[in-house]
Amino acid sequence: MSKRNKLDVAVTYTLLIIVAFIFFFPCLWLILASFSKSGSIYSFKGFFPKSYSLQTFINLFTDTRMYNYPRWFLNTLFVATGSCLLGTFLTILTAYTMSRFDFKGRKTIMKSTMVLGMFPSFMGMIAVYLLMTQFGLINQLWGLIFIYAAGAPMGYLTQKGFFDTIPKSIDEAAKIDGATNFQIFTRINLPLSKPIIVYTALTSFTWPWSDFILPKLLLKEKNLYTVAVGLMSLDETQFARFAAGSVFIALPIVILYFCLVKNMVEGISEGAIKG
Amino acid sequence: MKKRLVAIMLVSSMMLSMAGCAKNGANADEVKKNESAAFDGKLEKNVTIHVLENDTAIEKGYFKDLIDAFNKKYKSKGIKAVDANMDQYSDLAKDGPYGYGPDVIYQANDVIMKYAQGKHVLPLPIDKIEGHDKIPNCAWKAYETKVDGKTYTCGVPVNVQAPVLYYRKDLLPEDWKEKWDKNKDNIPDMVETWKGMYDFSIQRHAEDASKYGYMKSINDMYFSSGFLFSYGGYIFGKNNTDPTKVGLNAKESVKGAKVLNQLASVMNEDCIDDTITTNAYSKLGDGTYFATMSTPDMYSTFLSEIEKNYTGLDKKEAEEKAKENLVMTTLPTLPESGDLTADSKKEIPTKSMGGVNGYAISSYSKAPNASLLFVEFATKYKMIKKRAEMLGIAPARKDVASDVGGTSQQIYTNLDKNNIVLMPSVTAVSQIWTPGQTFFTDIAKDAFRTDADKKYKNLDDYSSGLDEMCKQISEAIKTLK
Repeated sequence: MSKRNKLDVAVTYTLLIIVAFIFFFPCLWLILASFSKSGSIYSFKGFFPKSYSLQTFINLFTDTRMYNYPRWFLNTLFVATGSCLLGTFLTILTAYTMSRFDFKGRKTIMKSTMVLGMFPSFMGMIAVYLLMTQFGLINQLWGLIFIYAAGAPMGYLTQKGFFDTIPKSIDEAAKIDGATNFQIFTRINLPLSKPIIVYTALTSFTWPWSDFILPKLLLKEKNLYTVAVGLMSLDETQFARFAAGSVFIALPIVILYFCLVKNMVEGISEGAIKG
Repeated sequence: MKKRLVAIMLVSSMMLSMAGCAKNGANADEVKKNESAAFDGKLEKNVTIHVLENDTAIEKGYFKDLIDAFNKKYKSKGIKAVDANMDQYSDLAKDGPYGYGPDVIYQANDVIMKYAQGKHVLPLPIDKIEGHDKIPNCAWKAYETKVDGKTYTCGVPVNVQAPVLYYRKDLLPEDWKEKWDKNKDNIPDMVETWKGMYDFSIQRHAEDASKYGYMKSINDMYFSSGFLFSYGGYIFGKNNTDPTKVGLNAKESVKGAKVLNQLASVMNEDCIDDTITTNAYSKLGDGTYFATMSTPDMYSTFLSEIEKNYTGLDKKEAEEKAKENLVMTTLPTLPESGDLTADSKKEIPTKSMGGVNGYAISSYSKAPNASLLFVEFATKYKMIKKRAEMLGIAPARKDVASDVGGTSQQIYTNLDKNNIVLMPSVTAVSQIWTPGQTFFTDIAKDAFRTDADKKYKNLDDYSSGLDEMCKQISEAIKTLK
């Protein structure tokens, strides 16, 4: 390696380390703060806590009279898993239909969904609230799942892009051999679409996992809170609990990400070949 | 084909709108029935009343004791009270009409009266309340509203919320009896007069630059406005009922503004914003601050923060030690001259803004009579006394206040003597906070400006600042009427 190349590498790595540190520092601070013994942000020595302890995490799961974190965690898990399963199913069906079938109004629907997707989701919150009151779905975790799942197919374009990359000649060959549309979908296209299914599932899971506005709007009872809403309801003196709750809620998503990251990268890049 | 499609769409939209009307119609009928049939004395049977209490009452176990006692007594009548299990600041106006609000709410008078103006809470038959004549008139007035010339009362006062002084007894100088008790009344000067507090704050900070005496966010209108009231200022005319007249600049209120500026000068720049409001608990706990101002319901929070600093003691010992060292008392007196740097010839009481927390019954309750029964039960002598003992609050009932004694009784006396100015129960009050905060922030900032840059150099400067604040409030009220 020439001297110039070595210098390039050194500069690149230095820059990358600096950027990584800038992004990682707030996370590191929050993790350390969650282990703070005093539990108060104002007793820190400079940026970091004076002493460390596991007590906040113990309190988080045992002292549930006012703040029932384990319950919030399970609620979040239920909503995220339900939305993930139902949302992925609907998104894949939508994307497959748009990719494989030609029907009247297809282009119009595609254009409309693209335009509608540009509006922020919170725009219709008041309408959503009123509809949910009519359906009796306020204070129901299922209400959240329905809304997340129903909104998920709006972002079907990446998945459609992926299905477009699977040659239609395979479908035609199967059709000649007597396969039905359902068989072509389940036996040929689905097994070939593992990366995009994983990608869809992961994104459908992460959105409800961290969403705040919708659960805050629809869940009135403290026992039904998701973690995001619950953490926001903490008293101002509960900083350490807030930090510990935030760190713990990130764990499942980080684990899930590392388990599925390989499939996800493949899914995104393959879906992006043709838009 | 097109006609068929249009027909289907029309029928569907008609069905949807009819379904919506049916639901709304049902709600409206229920409300009407509840209003007309409210408090007819016929107890609803087999009902569950959802009660929204404040978090401290739940945390300290008082609320559980209350509903357990109520449920035990009225089990035979099929009435059960439960925790509404909602955020303590849930909006009844938003959730109530759709049937998701609580039956009974515990809130401050300004919140309840905001609901009263929107007809979200029911006018109560207050003569049925056991301690009706034990509660001062001014507390009842905080829940009164006039409609078509008739006066309705929409809440039952439970406790008085007013600023109190918290300080650490163990942080007093050892020789305070000799050096800090000029009138030899066995009360340290620094907690008896603001002048004493000012002098002590300077001394404490001079001895150790990391320590402070009195610390409080000056920008907080709720706590700072009392200094203006003490010298003759008021919020609205006609006993806080006429928002066309804003009187925060009345009489000698400029002196109050000057005192606030002088107090800011012995703090640090954290007093300009909300920093001290949030860090006072832990800073009083670790001894950085000697004293601060807060409300009585925060007593237990201060206590637990002090406990955390007693390492090596078991929980009970730490709690006892913290209770011994944390003192909650009424506010020190102000110099009539309005100057903390000069010797005071005459002291005047410090007035403060306050509120009365109490119970109200939702207009959307399906069991108003059972809810009233709960309110009657929760405001009886026994329960209010228990509440005062467990939560350290200042009761609105005279008999409980005198039995509990201490600060509770002093706060009651202050309310009775009109030293506590209750938050006006008119919607225009929402327009005072932002202009007030802007003015008080500026006063606090001024303490840290260089002499050349100072904005408030004499009483005239404070006076123009106050005039500007009142003008902004009046304009906001007119514009947003």
